[in-house]
Amino acid sequence: MIRSGPGRLFFTVLVALLFLFLLGPVLLVFPLSFAADSVITWPPSGFSVKWYLALLGQPDLALALRNSLVLAAIVTGLALVVALPAAVAIGRGQFAGRDALMTLISMPLLLPTIVLGLALLILFVGQGLIGSWTGLVLAHLLVTVPYALRVLVTALGTLPASVEEAASSLGAPALSVFFRITLPLMAPGLIAAAAIVFLVSFDEVVITLFIVGPKLTTLPVALFHYVESRTDPLVAAVSVLMVLFSLGLVAVLERAVGLRRAVGGKGG
Amino acid sequence: MTQAAPGTAPHLLLDRLEKRFGTTLAVQALSLSVGRGELLGLLGPSGCGKTTTLRMIGGLMPASGGRIVVAGRDVTALPPHRRDMGIVFQNYALFPHMTVAQNLSFGLEMRKVPAAERAARVQKALEMVRLGAFAARRPRELSGGQQQRVALARALVIEPSILLLDEPLSNLDANLREEMRNEIRDIQQRLGITAVFVTHDQAEALAICDRIAVMRGGVLEQLGTPYEIYERPASEFVAGFVGRANRMAAVREASGAVQLGPLRLQGSGEAAPGPVTVMIRPHRIALCDAVPEGEGWNGATGRVARSTFIGDLLSLEVEIGGASLLVEQHTFAGRAMPRPGEAATLRWRAEDTLVFPRSAAA
Repeated sequence: MIRSGPGRLFFTVLVALLFLFLLGPVLLVFPLSFAADSVITWPPSGFSVKWYLALLGQPDLALALRNSLVLAAIVTGLALVVALPAAVAIGRGQFAGRDALMTLISMPLLLPTIVLGLALLILFVGQGLIGSWTGLVLAHLLVTVPYALRVLVTALGTLPASVEEAASSLGAPALSVFFRITLPLMAPGLIAAAAIVFLVSFDEVVITLFIVGPKLTTLPVALFHYVESRTDPLVAAVSVLMVLFSLGLVAVLERAVGLRRAVGGKGG
Repeated sequence: MTQAAPGTAPHLLLDRLEKRFGTTLAVQALSLSVGRGELLGLLGPSGCGKTTTLRMIGGLMPASGGRIVVAGRDVTALPPHRRDMGIVFQNYALFPHMTVAQNLSFGLEMRKVPAAERAARVQKALEMVRLGAFAARRPRELSGGQQQRVALARALVIEPSILLLDEPLSNLDANLREEMRNEIRDIQQRLGITAVFVTHDQAEALAICDRIAVMRGGVLEQLGTPYEIYERPASEFVAGFVGRANRMAAVREASGAVQLGPLRLQGSGEAAPGPVTVMIRPHRIALCDAVPEGEGWNGATGRVARSTFIGDLLSLEVEIGGASLLVEQHTFAGRAMPRPGEAATLRWRAEDTLVFPRSAAA
């Protein structure tokens, strides 16, 4: 660590610039969302809250928001139901191909999402799943289960097997061990996995673009289409709300369990 | 070697127990029995199979072959929750999300003990380990020694048929280790419970076990009382692992005498004529005025190479005809302190001269 002198100053400036580079675009939407102009311009000629008020008159966006929240909630529940037994099998089981299975389930994270989207489009068209809730849920599960699995396997990994063995030796059958010992001790991991899955689903746009139909769309896709035809600061207002929502969720998570610990970092 | 300690009925019987990991044999044809109320130590260096054996007894690891019999009943195929054994783990393995009382209560709940009786038994068990006032604490609020005692109470409150202890003292600092060791022994004796105690610390095993099974490379090297293990080690390995010993290459003649360089020694042990290893414990060698003559004694003269005063002990390194002997003597006021370069005369008993067939790896 550089502790003092010009080196330290240089280091501080460098970090500040990096943060600015990373967060700049996000910070920019805050003043833009309060612009009084009718198209996005920089700097804004004046400030108002009219675009936030305009949001109230957008039933399409409201419906898309509702869809996104419902979808994220369903996906979160199902992803945990799928990932929890898988995590226990991979984290505690002794069978051939354990690592291969982990890699296989993680694969969707490594593939370009555009390729996944295309593949799903081709697969779903024949099954009538395009523009359906089932199709959306399946597509989102494909990209969220790997995250949930990673977090839950990490949570299990930090839980010494001897604690479960102790419970077992004290007379607890496998199911009692799981529900009385393993599951409560995995709570931080479960909360973290749920939050991450919810955010990933709520935020997913690339694959969703291929799956949505005229009657069923999500908020990110609706916004994407909105900016194709209009350039007013309404999207900035929506973006601000989405950023605040995500930050709120992360803050709750950090308060509840310590995010870094939950996702397997060293700190926390 | 499969007989229980005299005067006790066998309670736990291991019959040709075996554990394979792939092609390696972690435990090989292990047969021994533990008497009711006996404390048996499984002693050996890491990787000797002692923990694997304990885990097989507790059902935490399936056996690859052989049988485990408790009170006449074959439990080899039973899962751990139906074996009725209390296990104390090296890392204590307390349930961090439960209070101390809930930790103890867990096993009783699993046994469907009524709530009122549970509370009474939990309190009694906590008082047994002198933690009566700590029932409402969480494990992380306790010191290492206290956690250890909670783990012991949790394993005992279910009144198991066997208590298994897996290196229970290795995470404690030295002072506490001795105190806990005696506490475990006291409680084990008071309850009269059959126990198996895994350790790599020979002093620990000698101090509290009724009998010790010394293991090496998955094989039982010797089973005996602490006295037998120490005084009549069955192999060069046991003699070297339990206590300390001078170890020298020598040759045994057809007459039974042992030729160590220019020295001709009387030795104990069954080793056949040929190359042998002679082992003598440092504190069994005494300084004396003249080389003793006659049956039962060995002697040698040499030169002091190093002399170290360690308070209660005087530690000498004496060169005798090419070999170097470590000699330890208790000190007392007025004892002469040999200086390096001085001549020294040594004597030791023939029965303290342990003779083993020379082994390639020991």
